[in-house]
Amino acid sequence: MRRENLDFQARVDALRPVNASKHLDFFGKLLMDNREMTIWEHDTRLLPAGARIWRRRAKDFARRYIRPDAARADSRPREYDPRPIISQAARKGFQTLLLALPLGTAFPGSYFLKSASFQVAVVAEEFAVESGGIALLLMAHHLGCAPLILSGHTPTILRHLLPLYARTLKGKPEIMAFAITEPGAGSDVEETEGGAKARLVTTARQVDGGFVINGRKCFISNGALADKVTLFAKLEGEGLESWTCFLIEKGMEGYSIGRQEHKLGQRASDASELILDDVRVPNRNVVGRLRSGWANNRNVLNYSRPVVGAMALGHARGAFESALKFCRNTMLGGKRLIDYQDIQIELADMIVKLWSARALIWHSCSQFRCYQSASAAAKVAASDISFEVCTKALEIMGDHGYLESSGAERLWRDSRLTQIYEGTNQINRLAVIEHQWVEITAGSDDRD
Amino acid sequence: MDLSLYAREGEREFVELTRSFVRKSVQPLFGDNAPDGDLGMVPSILDTAFEVGLAASPHSGMPGFEYGIWGTSADNPEGVRLSAILLSVVAEACPGIAMNLHVQGLASRIITSSKGSFPEPPVRVATALQEGHTLPGFRAVLGQGRGSDDGIGTRALPTEKGWAITGTKSFVYSMEKADAFLVFCRIEGRSGKEDTGCLLVPADATGLKLQDIGGRTGIRACRLSHLILKDVEVSSECRFLPADDFPLMGQALCLHWLGISAMAAGNASGALKAAREYAATRYQGGAMIEEHPAVRKLLALSEARVEAAFALLVQTCSFAGGNTDFLRRCAIAKLMTTDWAFSAVTDALQVFGGYGYMEDYCMEKRLRDAIVLKSAAGSRNYLEAFISDAARGEI
Repeated sequence: MRRENLDFQARVDALRPVNASKHLDFFGKLLMDNREMTIWEHDTRLLPAGARIWRRRAKDFARRYIRPDAARADSRPREYDPRPIISQAARKGFQTLLLALPLGTAFPGSYFLKSASFQVAVVAEEFAVESGGIALLLMAHHLGCAPLILSGHTPTILRHLLPLYARTLKGKPEIMAFAITEPGAGSDVEETEGGAKARLVTTARQVDGGFVINGRKCFISNGALADKVTLFAKLEGEGLESWTCFLIEKGMEGYSIGRQEHKLGQRASDASELILDDVRVPNRNVVGRLRSGWANNRNVLNYSRPVVGAMALGHARGAFESALKFCRNTMLGGKRLIDYQDIQIELADMIVKLWSARALIWHSCSQFRCYQSASAAAKVAASDISFEVCTKALEIMGDHGYLESSGAERLWRDSRLTQIYEGTNQINRLAVIEHQWVEITAGSDDRD
Repeated sequence: MDLSLYAREGEREFVELTRSFVRKSVQPLFGDNAPDGDLGMVPSILDTAFEVGLAASPHSGMPGFEYGIWGTSADNPEGVRLSAILLSVVAEACPGIAMNLHVQGLASRIITSSKGSFPEPPVRVATALQEGHTLPGFRAVLGQGRGSDDGIGTRALPTEKGWAITGTKSFVYSMEKADAFLVFCRIEGRSGKEDTGCLLVPADATGLKLQDIGGRTGIRACRLSHLILKDVEVSSECRFLPADDFPLMGQALCLHWLGISAMAAGNASGALKAAREYAATRYQGGAMIEEHPAVRKLLALSEARVEAAFALLVQTCSFAGGNTDFLRRCAIAKLMTTDWAFSAVTDALQVFGGYGYMEDYCMEKRLRDAIVLKSAAGSRNYLEAFISDAARGEI
C-alpha cells in the first residue's frame, strides 16, 4: 500500500508541468514559462521601468512604515499622530507623484505614456494592503492637489503647486484635501443630472480683491489635518454651473473644522466638516478660471477613481494574504486547510477577481488622459470585488475572521468605504453610461 | 417585511410582549454615542428579559421556562417557529442582545429535552460546541466521528465520582454571568468505550478558565470566550443523554443554526426599515431618494432577500424534529439566510451613501453584526461540506 502511494506520488510529480516540460524541444521549453514567481512579481515585471521602481519602493515602505502603525491608527485614531509617516512618505517622494521629474517625482516614461494617475495607483495598492486609513491619509493629498494641475492654469501651478512640491520634497510637506461634498449634496456633485438639481449651500461672493465664502462641506478626508484645501463653491446668485475652485488655507479667518465623523473603517484619516463663515479668499487663491470648477471637479474624478480602485484592490489583497496565511497554518482533520480542494477553489476565485480588478485599474489609467467611463468602471469593479474578496477572506477563517487579530477584519471594514466615496458605485455606473451615451443610444445596430 | 407576520393567532401576544421589551429595554441601549451602545446596560436588560419570561431557563421556577425563546414549548414545529420569530424581533433592534437570549435558550432546551438527573438545574447556561477552527463534521455530530480528526478533541475520562474533562472549546457565546456550560466532548465509559456526549460544567468548577477572545467586529453585547478545561471534575449526574435516538449535538446544532438565521433575518429587516425611512426623507437630485431608480433597485433587492430569508426560515421550522433531515435543512437555512441577510444589510447601508458608513445611523453596526452572523458557527465551506455529507446520507 505504501509502495503504491509512493508510486502514485512519483507519477503526480512527473506529470506536473514544470517536470513534464523537460520532454519538450529546446524552443518548446523556451515558450513555456515555468518560473517560480509570485503573481506580484509577474505583474511588476509587466510595468514600465519607472512604475516598476515605484511599486517595489511602495511595497517596501508599506511594510516598514505603515504595517507597524496600522492597528493603532485604526483603534485609536484620535491619538494617532500622522505627521511622522506623512513626512517620511514625502521624503521618499510618494507625496509628489502628480508631476514628473524634475518638478515632481513621477518617472516621465510612465507619466507621459500612461497617465498622471498611473504611478499613484500602483503605489496606492501597496499602501492599502497594510492599512486603508493610512493609505487614504497619504492618497487624499494627491486628490487635493489634482485640481491645481487639472485646472490647466499656469499661474495656479506656478504660484501654488510648485512651491508646495518643493517644500514637500525637502521633507516639510503641506497636506492637501479636496472638498466638494455638502450636507445636502453628496451624489449630486458627482453626477450631471443630479448636479442640475443640486441644493448647494457653499457660496462665494465677489468683493474687492477676492471672494468671501460662506457654507459647509462634509465628509472631507484629511479635512481637519489639511494645511490647504481645494474647495468648490458656487458664485452668489448662480447655480452649479458657476462652481469655482478656491484654495483655502488653514488659519484663514472664518475657516474652522466642525464635526469629525466616527467611521466604520479607514479611521487614520479624518472625515471632517469644514465650516466657512465669511472666509475672505484673495484672487490669487482662485484655482483656474471662474466657473471652471464643475468641469475641473469631474475631471479630477476621472483621475482619482482608478486610484480609489487601486486602494480597494489593496484592501482585498491584504485580506486575501491574511486568509492565505490562516489556511497555511490551520490544521483540520490532520491536514492543513490549504490542502483541501474546496478551499483551493475559494482562494483561486479570490485570485482571479484580484487579478481582473488590477487589469482594469491599470487599463483605466494607461493613456495620458484618464477618461470617465474607464475610470468609473475600474472604481466600480475594483471596489465591488474588494468587498466581496474581503468578505470571503473573513468567511474562510470562520469565527477567527471577525476577530481584530485576524488582520482581515480591519481591511474588510476599510474596503466597504470604497463602494461609497468618490461617487457611490451607483453614481459611477451612471457615469459609465453617460460617457458612452452617444454610442449606446445612437450607435450602429450592425453587430459587425 | 417582518418575520412577526408569520405569527399565528394566539402567538401575537408573545410578539407584542417582545416588542414592548425591545422598546422599553433594548432601544435605550443606543442612547449614547458608543458604536455598540452602552454595553454596561446589558446585564440589566437581560435581567428584565428573565423577568418578563423572554429568556428561557432550564429552571422550572423561572418565568421563561416554557414560553421563553427556545423554552420547553419549542418541542414542536410551532414552538420552534415562535421562538425564531421572537428572536428576530429582538435582533431587529440589537443582534447582540438577541444572541444572549438565543444561547441561553439553546442550552436550556438541550437540558430540558434530554434525560439528565442534575439535582438543581442552573439558571443561566451556555453551550460549548466548537473546537479550534470549526464545528465538528457531519459524522462526528452523529456520533460517527474519529475524535480530533472530526473536530472533537475534548476528552472526559472516568473518575471515582464522574468524569475529569480536559480540552479547549472555542468561540463560546454566553451571558456575562453564566452559571454553567454544556460541554460537548468525547466521554470514555468505564468499559473504555468512547462516546460523544454532553456534560454540564459549573462556571466556578476548578480547572475551568474563560479566555477572553480580544477585539471583534460585531455582536459585542454578548460575551464570547474560549473555554479552557484542565482536569475539570464533574459528577456522574452532570451527564445529559438524548431523550430519543438523535444525538444531543445534532439537536443543539439545529437550534443554533436556526437561531443565527433568525437573528440575521431580523438584523436585515431592521436595516431595511431604516433604509426605507431614510430614503423617504433624504432629498437629492431634485427628489426624495426613494424615487431614484438606483435607490429603488437597492431597496427592492434588499427586501427580496429579507423575504426569502424569512420564507426559508419558516419553512425550515416546519420540519422541526430530531432527525438528520432537519439537521440538513437547518444547515441550509444557516448557509442561505445569513448570506441573503448580509447582502440585504449591505444594500440597505448603500442607500445612506456616506452616512451609512458613519456610526450615526447604526447601519455600520448592522453590517458588523451581519458579517459575524455569517461567519460564526460554521463557515460557508464548513456548511457546504456538511450539507453535501448529509445529502449523501453518510452516517
